[in-house]
Amino acid sequence: MSFQQKNITVSLSIFVIILGFYLIRIFQMVQNASFNSTNVFRLWGIIVVLAVIGTIVATIFTHIAGGIVHKVRTNEDPQIEDIQDERDQMIDLRGTRVAYTFSSIGVALSMLTFVFGQPPLVMFTLLIFSGVLAQVVADIWRLTLYRRGF
Amino acid sequence: MGKGRIGNNIRKLRFFRNEMTQQQLAEKVGVTRQTIIAMEQDKYSPSLELAFRIARVFETPLEEVFSYQPEDEST
Repeated sequence: MSFQQKNITVSLSIFVIILGFYLIRIFQMVQNASFNSTNVFRLWGIIVVLAVIGTIVATIFTHIAGGIVHKVRTNEDPQIEDIQDERDQMIDLRGTRVAYTFSSIGVALSMLTFVFGQPPLVMFTLLIFSGVLAQVVADIWRLTLYRRGF
Repeated sequence: MGKGRIGNNIRKLRFFRNEMTQQQLAEKVGVTRQTIIAMEQDKYSPSLELAFRIARVFETPLEEVFSYQPEDEST
């Protein structure tokens, strides 16, 4: 498994956790009748910060964990192999395209909630959900392309 | 218009170059070893530039490294 694949796997795991956390928090808010603007916007902030930190942590963790595993397996000093060649860039591009498609559909659906007379909170909730889901789907698509080829 | 299949003889050509390793070839053409593996398994068709770089390493014409089979012939 290349560095890029490991990085995507770690990123995917982190974003699945973030998505799970988000859904659980929203569910709890609805259950406790605390689904109000203060709580939703706070959750928005938490999710955005977690996503940024998660991306950084994924890269650092992949470097460190990969280096340790390499040293234990081969007893050689780890090499930094984070170069992105044309295949990596192509896969990244295709993943990004999938992410944009999902995000666009999410935004359209979010706007549609206004048509059905839903409050803005529902729109905001759907918006961030589609953003995180798009990242998860894009990472899955990237891993699929690495495994299956194209 | 359907998509054809691009095959290659990279594995064979490496063998005839004193069993050149995938890593050595990857370093010579400036890609990762995983990309060489993907090409040998027909899971990735390289760009024209990379194809020329590979042919240059083996000092052979491009057509001897890569071959193109249109969809209607490959099925």
